[in-house]
Order: sequence, then structure tokens, then C-alpha cells
Amino acid sequence: MMENGKIVTIPAVATIDEIKDEIPNVRTYYLSFDDKAIDGAFTFRSGQFIMLTVFGEGECAISLPPSPEKDRFHITVRSVGKVTRALGGLSAGDKVGVRGPFGNGFPFDEIKGKNVVFVAGGIGLIPLRSSIVHVLQHRKDFGRVILLSGSRTPSDIMYKYNMKEWQENCEAFYTVDNPTPDWTGETGFVHTLIEKAKVPVENTVAFVCGPPVMFNTVNQELMKRGLSDEFIISTLERHMKCGVGKCQHCAVGRTLVCTDGPVYTYRQIKILGEQI
Amino acid sequence: MYLIKKSDVLRLAEELGKTHDLYGPFMEPATKQAMFERVGKAADIDLAAPIPALPPKHALLPHYEKILAYSYDKKTQKVDLAPIYDDRPKALFGVRPCDLTGILCLDRFFLGQEFLDEVYKYHRKNLFIVSQTCVAPFKQCFCVCCDGGPAASEGYDLNLTDLGDTYLVEAGSEKGKKLAEAMGLAAADAKHQAEKTRRIDKCITLFDSVATDNKAWISRVMNRVTTGFIDEAVWEYIGNQCFECGACSFVCPTCSCFNIVDLPRKNGGAHESDRVRTWDSCSYEGYTREAGGHNPRKPVEDRRNKRFFCKLSYSQSKKYLRPGCVGCGRCQWVCPGDIGLPNVVTYIRREIHS
Ligand SMILES: Cc1cc2nc3c(=O)[nH]c(=O)nc-3n(C[C@H](O)[C@H](O)[C@H](O)COP(=O)(O)OP(=O)(O)OC[C@H]3O[C@@H](n4cnc5c(N)ncnc54)[C@H](O)[C@@H]3O)c2cc1C
Ligand code: SF4
Ligand code: SF4
Repeated sequence: MMENGKIVTIPAVATIDEIKDEIPNVRTYYLSFDDKAIDGAFTFRSGQFIMLTVFGEGECAISLPPSPEKDRFHITVRSVGKVTRALGGLSAGDKVGVRGPFGNGFPFDEIKGKNVVFVAGGIGLIPLRSSIVHVLQHRKDFGRVILLSGSRTPSDIMYKYNMKEWQENCEAFYTVDNPTPDWTGETGFVHTLIEKAKVPVENTVAFVCGPPVMFNTVNQELMKRGLSDEFIISTLERHMKCGVGKCQHCAVGRTLVCTDGPVYTYRQIKILGEQI
Repeated sequence: MYLIKKSDVLRLAEELGKTHDLYGPFMEPATKQAMFERVGKAADIDLAAPIPALPPKHALLPHYEKILAYSYDKKTQKVDLAPIYDDRPKALFGVRPCDLTGILCLDRFFLGQEFLDEVYKYHRKNLFIVSQTCVAPFKQCFCVCCDGGPAASEGYDLNLTDLGDTYLVEAGSEKGKKLAEAMGLAAADAKHQAEKTRRIDKCITLFDSVATDNKAWISRVMNRVTTGFIDEAVWEYIGNQCFECGACSFVCPTCSCFNIVDLPRKNGGAHESDRVRTWDSCSYEGYTREAGGHNPRKPVEDRRNKRFFCKLSYSQSKKYLRPGCVGCGRCQWVCPGDIGLPNVVTYIRREIHS
């Protein structure tokens, strides 16, 4: 049942239509809701997330990587623990549960006309994908669009099948920490690409997602060039139970990641004063 | 306003017990502590029992509660989902004002934010609350400095005040009025109202001599907790004394953090599971630990200050429409580390860190 366009309490049943291997331990699951009414009505904003139930195992928070328009509904999940490993054991045709969409989403209306820089470390590309596709779908609304993606090795690059398209439609740079002999892209940590790509800071907004260390170095580098922390945008990840502001596990400072986030500016994150 | 003879007051409970699960305070022989639990019969209730060890919040937010029963058979791909809502009529008889204030905090938090908590809503639906004015404080109380007592001003269906050999009975809702009328209670007048006021005033004057365990000038620290102008060393000092036992959260009328786990159904079929919600505490290390082991709130002081932020910051007060502490003194009473809320307030006020 949906309330104000959201599945709040009881998960809606969805079928896994197809599973795609992304990188070791990470798979993309294409889903459709069994209830056709929900399938038609389910909409979301880039940056929002769902609570995914793996039946018999539990629930966890999962981002929505598809663009809200013209994209197959899917999630991309890394198997790390109880629920996500059990998901990894499911096959096409199996059922899962979905609640959501929850969270605030990225502020697209406020950034029209600006240069947009995406910086992703590893699977940080998962929460960013929706926005990347969205921005490229509305390419004319933005200035320069730059994508900087860092991965450990070439086989750790997420959404490889989108690489060609993204390189054609924006200034996309891929780097790896440990190259293989056949690697032709950049080498080194992702923050080194900021210089290489000549990332602008005037009229620019940066979306940065990745592990804490990468997040900090990238932000320092961007700020050194003169980008204000107000225009660095990220999503926070927290252990989360209910997704609707009641269990309080995801509290960061005076906010809750599930209802006030997961999208924050770097300035907000600093003011909230908690570790990433 | 009505009157009921002291010897008759439990007739109200008896009447409520006919249509409700009846909860009330009583002395538990085994522990020699006052408890507030479901009782077998009205006569088990002891309105003179001291402030109960645990608040009645468990009637609305049980320690352990199944919220969804489901089954998923992979062979047939059949999924069945059955939410479990508990709207049994419950009557809480003899609730202390601090604990009633706690329930009002929970109401505002669970029913008044962006999302409404369906499970809580059902628990609340058929709840009947009979509160009682405290005519004397207990050793641990500091409700006067948190506006949590000693008299209830809202939120009750009926409120009782001990006037000696009678109770003044005030109705706070239509439901309450109906019951009082149906019981044929005698009318009270301005004289009885004045006697109630006198007894409340008397109670407040007794705090100095009786409620000697705890003093907390929470208004003196709310600003600092909100803005964060508190020396790190003070939080470290507080954190170092915490045993991470979670007791403070469990005894607090306003603490409501919960965990959710899906478990195979006990004695159930192979595909049957229950989604269970249980009490949780922000003092536990696992509370914020993420999959993969990363914990953004690893040091105990980073976790410990959260509790006091919830109780004392303006930001959290916005959710409760009042401070998150009602002044019951229970956390101070149970904390093995001696860092109940009143002590923490003192440490912050005096910047004590060693
Ligand atoms: C907004 C948001 C978006 C996210 N998006 C994605 C995404 O798109 N893709 C992705 O792969 N990941 C994403 N994550 C991370 C994902 O939610 C976690 O990887 C997932 O919760 C792991 O669950 P698990 O059961 O597999 O891991 P586990 O660590 O086994 O389980 C975590 C669960 O187990 C229990 N648990 C484990 N340890 C403890 C403990 N010490 N104390 C108490 N309980 C414990 C808890 O119930 C906890 O929820 C996102 C997280 C957030 C907050
Ligand atoms: S009761 Fe005291 S020791 Fe136990 S978790 Fe609370 S503050 Fe820490
Ligand atoms: S913080 Fe302590 S004193 Fe205040 S309401 Fe909670 S348990 Fe009672």
C-alpha cells in the first residue's frame, strides 16, 4: 500500500527480473513490483533510497541508481553482511520486498546552469549513477559536466557498460590505483584527476561519494582550488533500521540520514560535527 | 470534577478492567520494587506504591514485539505478508505525571513527525490513561526542573489527586468524563480544587528536604548542549564512566530507539519468519556499526553524548515540544557508572572533567 507515493510500513513484493555481475561481490538486480498499480506509481528522485527486504534475513538501506526517467528500475548491491550476502544468493525470478522511496534526494532545481562535477570512489558510483544519467538526459541544462571515477583495479570499475556512453557525453576520466598491463586510462588516486581535468570552481557544484578517506582528500583538494564547501554535495551512509525517522540509528548530529539526508552538503556535514 | 472515596478508588480500575487490559503499580514481593505492569485484578493495584522501577512505556513500545509475520516459499514464489498490530484496549491506572509526560513525548515523536509509526498508532488507539498527582516527591525526583510533574496538566483521560480520605477525579477527555458519569461519582467543587493546589504546592516545597538525590538545572545546559560549546574533556570524562550497559535507555520514559531483526518463526514452517522490533540503546557499540565493521561513533564518549543531546538539546525538544527529560531520576538510579542525567548536567555546568 502506498501513502503519499511511498511504501512506508509493509514491504511491497518485487521480482528480480535479471541479475548482472558488476565487479567482484557487487551485482545489479533489475526489479519490478508484482502489484502493477505500484509498478506504475512508484517514482523517486535521484539520491533517494529504498529499504530492501530479503525474506527470511532482514532489511537494509539501498540507493536507487537508475535515473527517475527512462531507465530500468534496479539496485546495485555489494555483498558484505547478513542481508546483502543472502541477496547475492538469490536468482532471477526470486522475490524481495521494497519500502520507500525515502530521503531527500539531490537538489537538481538549485543547480541548473552550473558546471557539474561527479567524483566517485569505488562503489560510491552507485548513489551517483542516478544523477549522472539524469544530468546527461538533461545535458543542455548544465555547463561543463565532468565525471571522475577512481577504482582499485580495472576489474573494480562500476557500470563498465555505461563507460563508453558517459565518455562520449561528458568529460569522463577513469583512474585505477593498481593498473593491469592492458589498462589505458589514468593511474593514481581519484583526487589527482581534479587537476588533470582542470575542474572549474566558478559556478560549479561537485557530487562526491566514496569511502571516508577518499571523501576527505577529494574535498580538501576541491576546496584548495576554491570551491566552497556549500557546493560539495554527498550522501552519508549509516546503519539504518526503519528508514522513516523512528529507530534513530542513523542520527548524525541533530539530523537523521533517513529523513533529513542522505544528501548533505559538505558544509552541513562539518557543522554536524560527526565522523563520516 | 468529581470525588471518589479512597476505599472506592479501585472500583474505577475494576470498571476499566472489564473492557481493558489493566495495568497499574504494585509492590513486587520478589524484588521489593514497585512495578508498573499488567495486573490480574484491580485489587492488585497499589496507588501508594512509589515511582515504579520501569515506566509504563512498555505498554506502547514493548521490549520485544513482532510487527510483521511473513512467509516466502521459493519453490512456488509465493509471498505472504501479515502485519501485526496490537490495538487491544489497555488502561494504565495510576500513572505518575513524569511518566505521562513521557508518553506525550512518545506520542509527538511517533505520531507527529514526517512519518507516522503505524505500530505505535495501534497501541495508542484504545489506550485509557488514569494519572495521579504526586503529593510528595521521592528521593530521586527532579520533575520540577523539567516541567514533568508533580501534577499532570494534559494527556490523561482521568486524573486522581489524593485529598486525604477522598480522591479528586478530573476528566481530561470525553472518554474520561463518560466513565466518571457512568460510575455516578459525586461532584467536586472549588474547595476541592483549592485543596489540590495546596497539596501540589506542599509537594513542591518538599523537594528540598525529600528529593535529595538529584538536582539538575537543565535550563542551564540546554543552550550549551545544543550549540556544542562543551569541552571535549568533559564528554571524555563522562564517556569513560559508561559501562555501555544500556540501562539508562531502558528505564527512561522517553527513550524509544529500537532495533529490527527478521527471525525464523519459532515452531513455524520452513519458510516462515517474523519481523521483530526490540528496544535498543545508543550506548551500545553495535548501534552505529555499519556492515563491514566501520563505525562512525566508535569512541564511547561519541556515543554517550548522544543520549544527552536527545534529552537536552533544543533541536530534539522540537520533536517532543518540550525537553526530552521528564525528571524521573531513573537513569541516575540505575547507572552503575554514576552518570545519570542529573550528574551529567552537573559535570557540564561546572565543567568537571577529572
Ligand atoms: C542511504 C543508504 C544507501 C545505501 N546504498 C547502498 C547501495 O546502493 N548498495 C550497497 O551495496 N549498499 C548500500 N548501503 C549500505 C547497505 O545498507 C549495507 O551494506 C547493508 O545494510 C548491509 O547489511 P547486511 O545485513 O548485509 O550487513 P550486516 O553487517 O551483516 O548486517 C547489518 C545488520 O546486521 C545487524 N548487525 C550487524 N552487526 C551488528 C551489531 N554489532 N549490533 C547490532 N546489530 C548488528 C543489524 O541488524 C544490521 O542492520 C546504503 C546504506 C545507506 C544508509
Ligand atoms: S546506565 Fe550508565 S553505564 Fe549504563 S549505558 Fe547508561 S550511562 Fe552507560
Ligand atoms: S533522562 Fe533519566 S531522569 Fe530524565 S526522563 Fe530519562 S530516565 Fe528519567
